[in-house]
Amino acid sequence: MKILVCAKRVVDANVKVRVKSDNSDVDIEHSKMSLNPFDENAIEEASRLKEAGIATEIIVVSIGSAKCADTLRTALARGCDRAILVETDMVLEPLSIAKILQQIVLRETPDLVLLGKQAIDDDANQVGQMLAGMLDYPQSTFISKIEVIGNVLLTTRELDNGTEVLELSMPAVLTADLYLNEPRFIKLPQLMLAKKKPLEHLMLSDMDIKLRSTTRLLKAFDGEVKKQCKFINTVPELFEVLQAKKVI
Amino acid sequence: MKILVITHKVTQNPESNLFNVFGAVKKLSGQCDVLVVGHNLGSIVDEIAKYKVVSKVLKLDDASLEHILVENIAKQISEIVGGYTHVLIAADSFGKNLLPRVAGILELGQISEVSAVISPNIYQKFIYAGNVLVEVEALDDIKLLTIRCTSFNEHLDLRDTQAEVEEIQYTNIISNKIKFVTINIDNKPVDLSNAKVVVTGGRSLGSKEAFDTNIRELAKCLNAGVGSTRAAVEAGYANNDAQVGQTGKIVAPLVYLAFGVSGAVQHIAGMKDSKTVIAINIDQNAPIFEYADYGLVGDLFEVIPQLLLRLQQF
Repeated sequence: MKILVCAKRVVDANVKVRVKSDNSDVDIEHSKMSLNPFDENAIEEASRLKEAGIATEIIVVSIGSAKCADTLRTALARGCDRAILVETDMVLEPLSIAKILQQIVLRETPDLVLLGKQAIDDDANQVGQMLAGMLDYPQSTFISKIEVIGNVLLTTRELDNGTEVLELSMPAVLTADLYLNEPRFIKLPQLMLAKKKPLEHLMLSDMDIKLRSTTRLLKAFDGEVKKQCKFINTVPELFEVLQAKKVI
Repeated sequence: MKILVITHKVTQNPESNLFNVFGAVKKLSGQCDVLVVGHNLGSIVDEIAKYKVVSKVLKLDDASLEHILVENIAKQISEIVGGYTHVLIAADSFGKNLLPRVAGILELGQISEVSAVISPNIYQKFIYAGNVLVEVEALDDIKLLTIRCTSFNEHLDLRDTQAEVEEIQYTNIISNKIKFVTINIDNKPVDLSNAKVVVTGGRSLGSKEAFDTNIRELAKCLNAGVGSTRAAVEAGYANNDAQVGQTGKIVAPLVYLAFGVSGAVQHIAGMKDSKTVIAINIDQNAPIFEYADYGLVGDLFEVIPQLLLRLQQF
């Protein structure tokens, strides 16, 4: 079984993102960047499937600036076998990412495409579903469990009010929830080893894909709303607040 | 402008989320068609047809849609969508699973979790775990939008007579690539997403037993929904669907009670629209107090039992 995983380079989850003073966009030029946490779950799961003797090869793709090579090295250290960097300086929307991934899927013909359910920068939660729609593959999104039984995938999906189990034939697209697994801690030797693994460089401009913008960013605001906290000291006071707010 | 709202059958009644989506419709043009997908839709279609915002109900009823798999409806929906300028769906686990697939089939863009409508083609939405609010213009002829339900709460008038109902024949091919196996619904006394009061516990509860005897018990007494931080879910104190935050549920109750919640930005993203936030934390420097209306610095293991005792005496 051949698995394709994706690695998005995003602002680290611990960075508090601010907007530019002219409100034109976010200001992330000097922010610490990391592998998208949900992609980390997808990569971890792929690595476990390989260690279990189920997967034979894991290919990781990243789309973006040349700096995504760092993100790909992290993914290789996490157990991927080879990496593909689709380089572009354009800021791409989920639809464009899905179209590029579609080309990669047609070239690599993986049995399973495993992605993070969303990226923690744009929080769009679209690429996996779009890709599945374009390829006419079955999809199981927000998954917290995968079992491979012969040629079928038994997946558990997280719903708003419970879980759902779906059985998919391959090829298929799956998107990982945080509860899929606990990604491993990477040690230095693995990072060193990852440098020896193959990393293929493609220029987006050389690929025959028509991309367009479907949205235009007009303004960005600080979304944080801080409040003036009134401190109370005792449980009876708390009880009074609850009464005033008609909770009781 | 021609708006289509997509919904599905979960219970005998329309999803409460649908009424929030209607709120977004009112901010656009005020009228929409509603596509209802599922099986045995009779009563739910009649209920939806009562509302003034609804021009027409499109009923897509088929036995194979008893349990909906997107593979079995996305193609047909992508054909129906062609007749509209705006397609709206709640940003819940159904909408988030379906609409991007439709977008992929049609090669259209989608705007996720719209929180405000500025004009017919300009919307606001949060990115970076709610740290940043952006205003974006949708450039496609058909605008595909998932709606952040907590952001829209409009009064909905009823019609004098029922809206027209059009039966749509099911034409989608049933996929042989995917099969529904089972569904496990958590039966909670109060639905977290729509609860007027939410009681949330963090990792400092220390154990599932402590979570149950404190957070769940208090929630029960207050008829509140039970929320949890990601850390508490990962520690096994609560199920995944109780997680409030960037990657979990977005809630906006009238009162949000946070016990032992530190206030990571990812958690704040899921609850900051709550009307009143009350935080109880032993650490007076916990960031949660910056987002709270009322704060009590104290040990939740002392505060909750005292509160429960007072509630029993009340």
